[in-house]
Amino acid sequence: MAILETHDLTKRFDELVAVDRVNLSVEAGEFRSVIGPNGAGKTTLFNTITGALRASEGEVVFEGEDVTALPSYERVRRGIGRSFQITNVFGGLTALENVRLAAQSIPSREMSVGSQLFRDKNRFDDVTAHAQRVLEDVGLGEHAETKASTLAYGDQRRLEIGLVLATDPEVVLLDEPTAGMGVEETESTMALVDDVLAEQTLLLIEHDIDLVMDVSDKITVLNRGSVVRTGTPEEVASDEEVQAAYLGGGHA
Amino acid sequence: MVTGGTLLTQLLNGLSVGMVYVLLAAGLSIIFGVMDVINFAHGEFYALGAYLAVGIAAALSGVTGGFWIALVAAPLIVGVIGGLTERVTIRPLYGRNPLYHILLTFGLVLVIADGIEIIWGTQPKNFAPPALLSGPITIAGFQYSLYNYFVIAVGALIAAGTWLALTETRVGIIIRGGSQDRGMVRALGIDIDRYYTLVFAFGCVLAAFAGIVLGAKQEVALGMGNAIIIPAFVVVVLGGLGSFRGAVVGGLGIGIVQTLTQTYVPALTGVIVYLLMVGILLVKPQGLFGNPEWQNHGGEEGDLLTGGGGGILDTTTRRYLAAALVGVLALVPLGIGVTYSSYIPNSLVLNVLVWALFALSLDFVMGYAGLVSLGHVLFYGVGAYATVMMAMYVTPVFWVGLLAGVALALAVAWFVGYLSIRVSGVYFAMITLGFAQLAYNLVTKFDITGGSDGLYTGYDATYGLGIGEVGQVSLLGDIQLFYYVVLALVVGSYLVARQIMRAPFGSVLQAIRESEDRAEFLGYDTVEYKRRAFMVSGGLAGLAGGLATINSFGVGPSFLFWLKSGEVIVMTLLGGMGTLYGPMLGAGAFLGLKEILLTFGESTPGLLGEVLSQWQGILGLIFVVFVIYVPEGLVSLPETLQARFGAGGGGGGESATDATDAEVSD
Repeated sequence: MAILETHDLTKRFDELVAVDRVNLSVEAGEFRSVIGPNGAGKTTLFNTITGALRASEGEVVFEGEDVTALPSYERVRRGIGRSFQITNVFGGLTALENVRLAAQSIPSREMSVGSQLFRDKNRFDDVTAHAQRVLEDVGLGEHAETKASTLAYGDQRRLEIGLVLATDPEVVLLDEPTAGMGVEETESTMALVDDVLAEQTLLLIEHDIDLVMDVSDKITVLNRGSVVRTGTPEEVASDEEVQAAYLGGGHA
Repeated sequence: MVTGGTLLTQLLNGLSVGMVYVLLAAGLSIIFGVMDVINFAHGEFYALGAYLAVGIAAALSGVTGGFWIALVAAPLIVGVIGGLTERVTIRPLYGRNPLYHILLTFGLVLVIADGIEIIWGTQPKNFAPPALLSGPITIAGFQYSLYNYFVIAVGALIAAGTWLALTETRVGIIIRGGSQDRGMVRALGIDIDRYYTLVFAFGCVLAAFAGIVLGAKQEVALGMGNAIIIPAFVVVVLGGLGSFRGAVVGGLGIGIVQTLTQTYVPALTGVIVYLLMVGILLVKPQGLFGNPEWQNHGGEEGDLLTGGGGGILDTTTRRYLAAALVGVLALVPLGIGVTYSSYIPNSLVLNVLVWALFALSLDFVMGYAGLVSLGHVLFYGVGAYATVMMAMYVTPVFWVGLLAGVALALAVAWFVGYLSIRVSGVYFAMITLGFAQLAYNLVTKFDITGGSDGLYTGYDATYGLGIGEVGQVSLLGDIQLFYYVVLALVVGSYLVARQIMRAPFGSVLQAIRESEDRAEFLGYDTVEYKRRAFMVSGGLAGLAGGLATINSFGVGPSFLFWLKSGEVIVMTLLGGMGTLYGPMLGAGAFLGLKEILLTFGESTPGLLGEVLSQWQGILGLIFVVFVIYVPEGLVSLPETLQARFGAGGGGGGESATDATDAEVSD
């Protein structure tokens, strides 16, 4: 069953059509990669699915519910999590506090006003335990008390994934999780994604097709806002139109 | 009866006032557009221009054409002063959050205003236009003031000239482009930063010119800068920050609307401008001609620098220091009659406590949720008015009044927050300022709020404690019960605020300050969180306002004056934003220093005494230095000092903290 679908999803900025009638259907548990040259509209597609941008036309359907008009935080609460291309963690707070905030998000809706306002944030045992577990999972257990802004770049990217993971999402959208990383770091991060997010449905943006060949169930190729092809990695790699898009559409 | 003649007269009056607004707003708007600086000191450059012109004309008395020489020379001098100011004070702040420019230029307001007072004294100056321009003139059977024609004509000429310079010269095109989209201009390979000094100086020239032409029409007096700067901001915000067209349309529009309202709907005088501003911003948050992109250029903004306070003093030490401070404060009244008079605890320290609470309330939203409220005095004033009015009209029991004050402040904060929190950054600051000004003008209009005199009359308390009495329940001699009530409420408020920051709610506020986007994508409704924080903050400010009425035996419009908003921001930053206790120490440092300066000023003869008595200017100067060099405030001093003097400087850090405490408790 498809957990996330888009129907003719379109995003226009004045004259420019950044996302043009995109239809996606992602199965539960699937690892889907969205690839395409720079400027293909990948991030805009992500922003429209997660609610950072309002769709100009079309629908986003999550678990059978039309979420197109919902604000982004409501989509997160329903189970759509995302990471950012530019590292976006709470720099002034510790690594643990970062993840704790993420873990607190969903339970906080059940808390009474009194505990929300006055009860010590570290005295919610479930939240703290969950946060610590996630921090271990992404390999930052030793850095719990380190200020996020002083973490190494690769560790910040891991923390970013930890933030997404801690909200317990059904679907995770990852926007170039290995952007700016060296070869080794890239490999270990992809392994991490494959490992800690194995339960979740994944939608991953990448411009480097080689990186996602092995891990993806399906790949969607985007060019100039439209879907060129969706298929298994093998199908996509051998598609002539895809090759043309990559060779003609600029160097990735 | 509205006749064509009087209507035409009113329209022309409106145009001549509007032209002055245009000149001011054009400079403000370009300065903001190009360098993101909200220049509160613009009104002071305007005043400086007028005073300089008076000085020059006086020096040239007897010389024919003295007025004309002054009209040209004074703006040029102000331009040079403005350029220097930009170089020395504003330049170090580029790249920081625009809030710091607001704070810095607010400090400059205090410095320049007091400088003017020291040089030219407190008496208003008469600055008459030359005989050539005075008297009425009749054109086509319609008689009207020649000087107003002159203002309109010369204003239009300068505006047109500025427009031509902006559209036809290379520098102008770069500046105009920069004020629309700075990133784009940079992308074209042009170093827009080089033009900053020029732009700032030019804005000051226009302001000075405006000051001279209006000064010659009315009078040149202290406070003329204060009086014009807020309406000028309204014009800029209405027209759209960074838009020259907006400045022209907004300036003329506001001038005409103001004049017509005065004549035909006097009840709305002073209010209409702010109603318009709030209304338009709510419908069109970027103003009439503003670039909507300004809304979200957050990526370019620097962070708000909060005082960490970590480092040297560990938690236990800090807790001991705090306990010691509260202990000292509790003992202060015992010294009455021994080392000082009852004035120290019952007036000075009480005042410090009330302001500490007010500063705490601002820090709650500014330091934690990143909401820069420029109109925080609104809640303080509303709390004060509600407290006094409740006591006067409903029940004389002070506590009921205080409760009503807090409740009303909460309600107003909910209303203002509901309407304006979705608007971000600078526009939020301006909307809150607009609401506060609206309230300031409203209370002067109604008898029930005591008009411009306020409500200070005594009344009989039949039971409980009325306002006049509550401050006079003596525990022993001059030792007042009320002192301890306030101390307990202020310390209690701090503890509550601190607990909120340690709870889930407060942790989300800090997340929002760090990155609102990220917090939203963790599933938090950030707008709702900010609204609630704004309410808590408004309630605390209302409590401070209510308590303040004890000392003043009532309330008046000065409780809502915008300078108070500025002062509380100064205290917050001075102490160290985002720490809760820092701003409270800042309030103590600010008021303590003021007291010291005033005392020494009075007892020191001659010029030095006179200079010391200008406490605002000296505080402004200290504040400017703080914004530039110690943006994290007093609480960061131990750390900063240690960093500067190496590991061995720990002792120095300690003594700096002691000094801070001493300032609060003396």
